[in-house]
Amino acid sequence: MRGIPILEIESLRTYFYAKSKQAFIRAVDDVNLHINRGETLGLVGESGSGKSITALSIMGLITAEPGVISGKIGFQTDSIETNLLQDLDDYVQLTSSDGRVMEVRKDCTGWQKHVEGIMTKIRGKEISVIFQNPRSSLNPFIPIGKQITEAILLNSRINNRREARERALYWLEQVKIDSPRLRFDSFPYGLSGGMCQRAMVAMALASEPSLLIADEPTTGLDATIQSKIVDLLQQLKSALNVTTMLISHDIEVIKRLSDSAAVMYGGTVMEYGPARDILLVDRESKHPYTEALLASIPSEKHIKEKAYLQAIEGDVLDTINTPDGCRFYARCNRVPEGIREKCQYHEPDLREISPGHCVRCWLYFD
Amino acid sequence: MGKTILEVANLKKHFVQPRGLFSALRGQERIIPAVDDVSFYLREHETLGLVGESGSGKTTVGKTILGLTPATSGRILFAGKDIAALSARDFRPLRKDMQMIFQDLDAALNPKMRIRAILKEAISVHQDINSAQVDRKIKELLEQVNLKESKLTNFPHELSGGEKRRVGIARALAVGARFLVADEPTSALDVSIQAQVINLLRDLQKDLDLSYLFISHDLRIVELVSHKVAVMYLGRIVEMGLVDRIAKAPRHPYTHILWSSLAAKESTEASGTSSEGRPPDWGVFDFERPYRGCRFAPRCPVYEARGRPEKCTNPSTEPQLKDIDEAHKVACHFPL
Amino acid sequence: MRRYSQVSRHVPEYSELPFWKKAAPMELAYVAYGLLVLALVVASYILGAANLLPRDPQEMDLQLLMAPPGTAGHLLGTDFVGRDILSRLIVGIQAYFLPGLLAIAIALTLGTFFGVLAGYRGGRIDTAITYAANLIDSFPRLVLILLIVAAFKPDIYYIMAVVGLTNVPVLLSLIKGKIQFLKEKDFIEAAIAIGLKSRAIILKHILWYNCRTVLIIQATLGMAEAILIETSLSYLGFGVQEPTPSWGNMVQAGANYFMQGKFWPSTAPALAILITIMGFHLLGDGLNNILEGKRSS
Repeated sequence: MRGIPILEIESLRTYFYAKSKQAFIRAVDDVNLHINRGETLGLVGESGSGKSITALSIMGLITAEPGVISGKIGFQTDSIETNLLQDLDDYVQLTSSDGRVMEVRKDCTGWQKHVEGIMTKIRGKEISVIFQNPRSSLNPFIPIGKQITEAILLNSRINNRREARERALYWLEQVKIDSPRLRFDSFPYGLSGGMCQRAMVAMALASEPSLLIADEPTTGLDATIQSKIVDLLQQLKSALNVTTMLISHDIEVIKRLSDSAAVMYGGTVMEYGPARDILLVDRESKHPYTEALLASIPSEKHIKEKAYLQAIEGDVLDTINTPDGCRFYARCNRVPEGIREKCQYHEPDLREISPGHCVRCWLYFD
Repeated sequence: MGKTILEVANLKKHFVQPRGLFSALRGQERIIPAVDDVSFYLREHETLGLVGESGSGKTTVGKTILGLTPATSGRILFAGKDIAALSARDFRPLRKDMQMIFQDLDAALNPKMRIRAILKEAISVHQDINSAQVDRKIKELLEQVNLKESKLTNFPHELSGGEKRRVGIARALAVGARFLVADEPTSALDVSIQAQVINLLRDLQKDLDLSYLFISHDLRIVELVSHKVAVMYLGRIVEMGLVDRIAKAPRHPYTHILWSSLAAKESTEASGTSSEGRPPDWGVFDFERPYRGCRFAPRCPVYEARGRPEKCTNPSTEPQLKDIDEAHKVACHFPL
Repeated sequence: MRRYSQVSRHVPEYSELPFWKKAAPMELAYVAYGLLVLALVVASYILGAANLLPRDPQEMDLQLLMAPPGTAGHLLGTDFVGRDILSRLIVGIQAYFLPGLLAIAIALTLGTFFGVLAGYRGGRIDTAITYAANLIDSFPRLVLILLIVAAFKPDIYYIMAVVGLTNVPVLLSLIKGKIQFLKEKDFIEAAIAIGLKSRAIILKHILWYNCRTVLIIQATLGMAEAILIETSLSYLGFGVQEPTPSWGNMVQAGANYFMQGKFWPSTAPALAILITIMGFHLLGDGLNNILEGKRSS
């Protein structure tokens, strides 16, 4: 059934403390997202946008301090209904001034233990992750077939080794790796980047998770391989209807695979809505950042006319220096005179401007 | 487009990779022909794009031209002079005319030096210059690359990727070079910053009459900035010509696959399963696979479709780069 | 519960931070202590050289044998023949300061020179140098020193020259390692690309920017080692000879009186040795962590 949120993130904040500068790196700063069953949500953003940290926060893999400090991550499947950040308030105390968190008191070790208790049942079983560099995620000393088998034994209901092996082989076939029986016994170093990534996908899907998180699955691969991996993910999506959170800085990939998209900048969501609407170049009402981002990618039009790309002035926001007002204000070229001060000193909240389409910008609501 | 400033003829760069402890004794060293008989020329104010995937040898071509790694054989004519076999000492005075914008942002700048010191060094290497002139030149450079003066007192690790890249460009310009090898100038940069760098490079080319060897794996950007493009595969150029023509109607099977992968990635429609022009999944992309004759044959769909013609895999009939059209060369027995 | 607070809205840049903020407090304490010790050493050297001592170190006051510290006129007491311990300690520095510097100078210059040669050129030069270095390294240092002492005379400068020489292999391999590591770095390639001469590259980029920390630290350790070696030699009777005081021979001379329960004549110089060596080690350690510490970004 569509429309039922599997994952619902509310006001997630993950901060890191830089001791030498005595300041917080506000990596994820008030993020709200939800993914419905069977849907693919694409998280787009440049470096420092917080998209990868969001994924790690969901998985409870943040070990740097203080880490996750507030928010709720609702996770609901057929068998589970829980808040992955349950009882966070028992471990954290925040002190804010002028609406900005300036002090955090947190029992980090206690929280780690608590989270491990929750997440060991969920990681790998209900939620699977694929990371960016497939080679570094795979154990270089163990053949991939064996790794997938182990994952199956650990994470699914199968506890018979022979059955698990068969399942592993089945999944290697599903990810269209060539000569699966042969590759079953191959080590990662004998496989190309593309094949390693396919093996990772097999391992992630073998436990039949309710949610798949793919963090930059195509980055770092050669151009020709990237399109093959995107093909694969699309095929699997239509065949298996896996609910996916896809993270990438490559807009083409997000466009091709996602149903809805969230554009992140400086640690928060700037725009959210159906992927085709938001990420199509000629669409009208959208966040200035999204618009500028799309305009800075060479398109057919640019190439035909050998036109200059529309670069965004300035540098990507360093989340240790999060400004008071809108995070994009310093680089925005659509700030009208009338509300300049508002943009500079007051951060807009994420508001719906049309059904299913939310924007964080003063231009669109006043 | 003016006269030819760079001509590369039959350039080869072979790396020797020892196998095992006693390889040298047993004569079992493996030779990796990273650059194997590459020829092209570059004219003034022109941008030649060099594309290829990892392992194609494109970065090695750049480094060899700049004398950062000695060529195994071949000729490199820069401003009429053959520089391929020059000693390090004889090469040095030429360095003020040719520079590299390095791919790795972090490593190319000494992390212990402040930006001002880095630029000052580049400025004063080839000329005697007093400190007032240095200051003036630094200001000029900062303006050219659009970098804030406040960044001068920073260390490289305090700069963002885009800023580091611009320092790299400024340094290349500081020496006074007119010919730049840009090695993956947009890699590791955010999309919005890539656009800044690309615009900057184009502006600089116009304002300062620069010529570029533009090495990149990003085809769209190469299409945007280059006049000509050379496509490399495993050490050889397989196709070369005007960029518009090659992008629209590639004649070599590999070029065709490169550009169509791009289109496939960008199209919003689902693609079908393996079909014509979409080869089976790539294996390990490097010199591991033994090849005879055409290097691309093991993965070439045309080779398969034509029933594996012997011509392609016969070492004595390895396809050479030949004119197929005006200003368009292809190295293939059965061009598309 | 851990507490993290952000002090101000404006976050300073790394290069803006004064150096004491960039380091951990412990490291600063180490360096402070080390610098204090260094200051005392230098001060003692100057006092000794200018003969500005509280008392004559050779003057024997037979009325006041082995007086405890705090006795009138003798801040640290007297030794077994009535000589003022404080003055002897101050003068004792003479045995270490310049000789130590000699050892360090020899080790650093030769080690750096040959290390650079071996690292940068590589090939056969590298093999030859490394072979020679290993040869020197295999020699038991004490034996070598005794040979020198026997062949020439027990002059502390000769001894320290040998110490310096035997330290060359260590420094050499350190520098060579650094150079081989840095040679591959892109910024060296970039330096070559802009046209710097090899000499400039080595001196500036490699040595000055990247090796000076190592060299400073080796210098501090070298000083500590000089003291230790002299002490050992004195114990064997081959160090600085009486009546010239050195901490080592003071310890040695006072050792006889342990049986009588008089610990102080030996303990005083021993404490001086301890405090000083610790000072140099901590200085080296602290500097290492501050200067070479990972910069968080």
